[in-house]
Amino acid sequence: MHIPDGYLSPQTCAVGFAVAVPVMATAAARVHKRVRTRHVPTLAVLAAVCFLIMMFNVPIPDGTTAHAVGGALVAILLGPWAAVIAVSVALAFQALLFGDGGVLAYGTNVLNMAIVLPFVAFGAYRLISGNASLTSGRRVVAGFIGGYIGLTAAALCVGVELGIQPMLFRDASGAPLYSPYHLSQAIPAMLLAHLAVAGIAEGIVTAAVVAYLQRANLPLLKVNHPGVPIDAASAAAGRSRRLRLRPGVVAGAVMALLVVLTPLGLLAPGGAFGEDAPEDLDLHALGLSKIPEGLNQYNGIWHSAIFNGYDYTRDTHPAVGYVISAIVGILAVGAVVYALAKVVALAAGRRGSANDPAAPGRVRT
Amino acid sequence: MTRAAASAATPARDRLAVPAWLLQHDMAMCPCGCIGKRKKGSYLAKTIQGGSKLLQQVMFGEDVAKARGLMQRVDPRVKLLSLLGLLVVAGLSHSMIMLGAMYAATLALASASALPVGFFVKRVWLFVPAFTGIVVLPAILSVVTPGDIVLTLWHWHGSPQGITQQGLVAAGRVVARVAVSISLVVLLTLTTPWIRLLAALRSLGVPRIFILIIGMAYRYIFLLLTSVTDMYQARQARTPGIVRHDRAARAFVGASVGALLGKANQLSEEVHQAMTARGFRGDVKTLEQQRLHIGDVYYVLAVVIFAAAIMIGDHILGH
Amino acid sequence: MAIERDSTELADESIIVVTGLHYYYLDRYPALNDVSVEIRRGERVALLGANGCGKSTMLKVLGGLLFPSQGTYRAFGHEVTEDSLEDVQMSAGFRSRVGLVFQNSDAQVFSPTVREEIAFGPLQLGLSREDTAGRVEDVTSMLGITDLLDRPPYQLSGGQKKKVAIASVLAMGPEVLLFDEPTAALDPRTQYWLMDLIEQLRDTGKTIVHATHDLDILYRIADRCLVFSEDHRIVAEATPEQTLADRDLLLRVNLIHEHSTLPRPPRVRVVSSEC
Repeated sequence: MHIPDGYLSPQTCAVGFAVAVPVMATAAARVHKRVRTRHVPTLAVLAAVCFLIMMFNVPIPDGTTAHAVGGALVAILLGPWAAVIAVSVALAFQALLFGDGGVLAYGTNVLNMAIVLPFVAFGAYRLISGNASLTSGRRVVAGFIGGYIGLTAAALCVGVELGIQPMLFRDASGAPLYSPYHLSQAIPAMLLAHLAVAGIAEGIVTAAVVAYLQRANLPLLKVNHPGVPIDAASAAAGRSRRLRLRPGVVAGAVMALLVVLTPLGLLAPGGAFGEDAPEDLDLHALGLSKIPEGLNQYNGIWHSAIFNGYDYTRDTHPAVGYVISAIVGILAVGAVVYALAKVVALAAGRRGSANDPAAPGRVRT
Repeated sequence: MTRAAASAATPARDRLAVPAWLLQHDMAMCPCGCIGKRKKGSYLAKTIQGGSKLLQQVMFGEDVAKARGLMQRVDPRVKLLSLLGLLVVAGLSHSMIMLGAMYAATLALASASALPVGFFVKRVWLFVPAFTGIVVLPAILSVVTPGDIVLTLWHWHGSPQGITQQGLVAAGRVVARVAVSISLVVLLTLTTPWIRLLAALRSLGVPRIFILIIGMAYRYIFLLLTSVTDMYQARQARTPGIVRHDRAARAFVGASVGALLGKANQLSEEVHQAMTARGFRGDVKTLEQQRLHIGDVYYVLAVVIFAAAIMIGDHILGH
Repeated sequence: MAIERDSTELADESIIVVTGLHYYYLDRYPALNDVSVEIRRGERVALLGANGCGKSTMLKVLGGLLFPSQGTYRAFGHEVTEDSLEDVQMSAGFRSRVGLVFQNSDAQVFSPTVREEIAFGPLQLGLSREDTAGRVEDVTSMLGITDLLDRPPYQLSGGQKKKVAIASVLAMGPEVLLFDEPTAALDPRTQYWLMDLIEQLRDTGKTIVHATHDLDILYRIADRCLVFSEDHRIVAEATPEQTLADRDLLLRVNLIHEHSTLPRPPRVRVVSSEC
């Protein structure tokens, strides 16, 4: 899961930093604002815990071992932004002190394990646990699935990052300059290992700790679950409450999905930018099962529009051009989704508070 | 001492009802006297041992970092910046010859810095490059890297398949680049005391809050590692006989990570109080202050010239 | 809000005044119950009590880390509250004058090296780097730990960590020193070293408050004892001699066992042969 230096082109690493640094800065600012000076030792200790979790190799029935990251756990306990800081600090140790994970590749590793993993895991956890009480078994299951999905998403990112290398960077003779495996090889290889091994490890660690804390240390579990009823009785009392729709979260999730999915377009064999090739439809259908024809058509239109805008990249740096167009596109989609979600949330909030005046704070989004 | 008993809620004159089994003196071994079969240590034992090895490694690193050598004399900020520059150069160079030259340079620097070269080579290769070699091995085949076949292994639909020249070049290049990159990082960390590396990161613009968190986390890794080891030993001491490894071990990992978090939470609360008591208000000041020497300037010049030579050489060889 | 330092003419003043203090953990569990205390400059006070009686909480209130749920705490003539410590000058004045040595040195020694650790307090309080470096040198040579300066804390033994923790508090030059279970988990040699240090600090005019249940050291470290009961009140206030003579009291607060032997005052111990 830790990408060492040498597997990725410096250009890819630069993009990794370009994504990781602003997110880390936002995380620091957000955590700072919310808990004042209290956060410093907590995050330090959690970073140490993540480091140790990465050291714990968990055995898997087939005889191999894998390590969890702990990002899902920290995200559940203190929120995904705290997890960004804790995991990225642990990664900094490994890169600088133990040569585990590269220094140039640090940004990319942060993106995979400290950003994608906790946010995806936390999203899945929230979705599955819903309004279940703090001590319910559903939260344990949600923890397992959150950890599992989060780690798998991170692995998918690693596969994509490695897989785009041979398509974008080759020397004159056609030999790949960096990681030699094509997307169609890198993604299945990464996913197989992580679906079967490391994802389970992250899931087990997350679920086991959630279950342990339910029994032994409920206050620690309460920190990031304000307003969640403790047991089934009080849950029944508060059942009328619904999950709030948070536009920022929705937009972030959609953008994360796009970041992961965008390079899948490159999967099509036979050319770097093969989205409009006929094979495209088959591959997408394989990967995503149901894609309406209309959407496919729309996808093509969207793609060519971006492509026209970045025409200059045809000559020397196709990689940079592709990545820039991807980022711009994703940001644009994110903004639209955010605006839409905001409107929906506002509407829902107004309706909800009109119907049920006993629930205050609903209007706040 | 009886002080512990006094704190119990029951009146002191009530004798503790000590269960009979606690007073037995014979050891709980099987009557035949056999101690039992020895079994290979579980993965857990290995992980715990790995933890103490890690400690030793770090301490050895601190010793080397204090030795008098070439790299130890260079300012950590200069070392850090030149590391980044050289990593980019290694990333951009295409030619095996140039990567070889860079590797040779790291070896030369290691021996000039009082690092035992054998140790340095082992430290670098044992981890990632050897692993990388295995990982990229299939990439030499035409299935992964199509190109000019140099060794035909089989035919598929009439066309020859086997090892390609492009595949060999690509695999060799990745391994070489990984080895150079790791050597550069190991060279930096083995010749720089941790605290000075942190100070260098700080003066290069990493926000203070991150530096503070990194510094404290480093310190608490060792503390928490000790408590994990203690928990493990306490469990070992209470576990006579052989338990089926994996399941019990998994349960232990879950419970100990949970206990670890509880402990960590409590600890961070106390640390925060200790910091507040000494005037911490969210913004930290540190003692460290460094000045650049003329030697650092020479080092920078040497690195720049070397990097330029590599880039030019790579350009010439590549065209 | 500044705290004036020149108060030599008031040698007998009470520098710490606690009135009607209640403290509840999580707003529910009482840890201190209607506690009132006055401590005069240069005094040595021991807070005695069984585990969980509230003496550690009391020290943390005196150290400005926890704040009364009810009642007031005044130090050096100023009321100490969460709000008043938000003021930069008040906070700097209070923190530099009241130092707390934690029971758990691991929590207190958090910096990457001993040098940074000892420099932490003075630097946060706004001393220049040069002055701070001077203080670090002085305090480490006073405690005989100069050779530890560049060591990381994880390499230190328990006793060394305690010395570093004490050095890091002394470097701020506090007038009031609060010790939480100072001798816990120390070997006898370090315990004696610590008691000698506490006596020397008393001679320099420092005010010292201990929380302890170690009765053996009471004669050497305290002039006055405050005994806490298990319902978190102060039930007695006397000299160490009087306190240790009152066996019923100590039994009642569950500090000793029926069969405990109590330490005797020093001069008696010299005469008797049983020690």
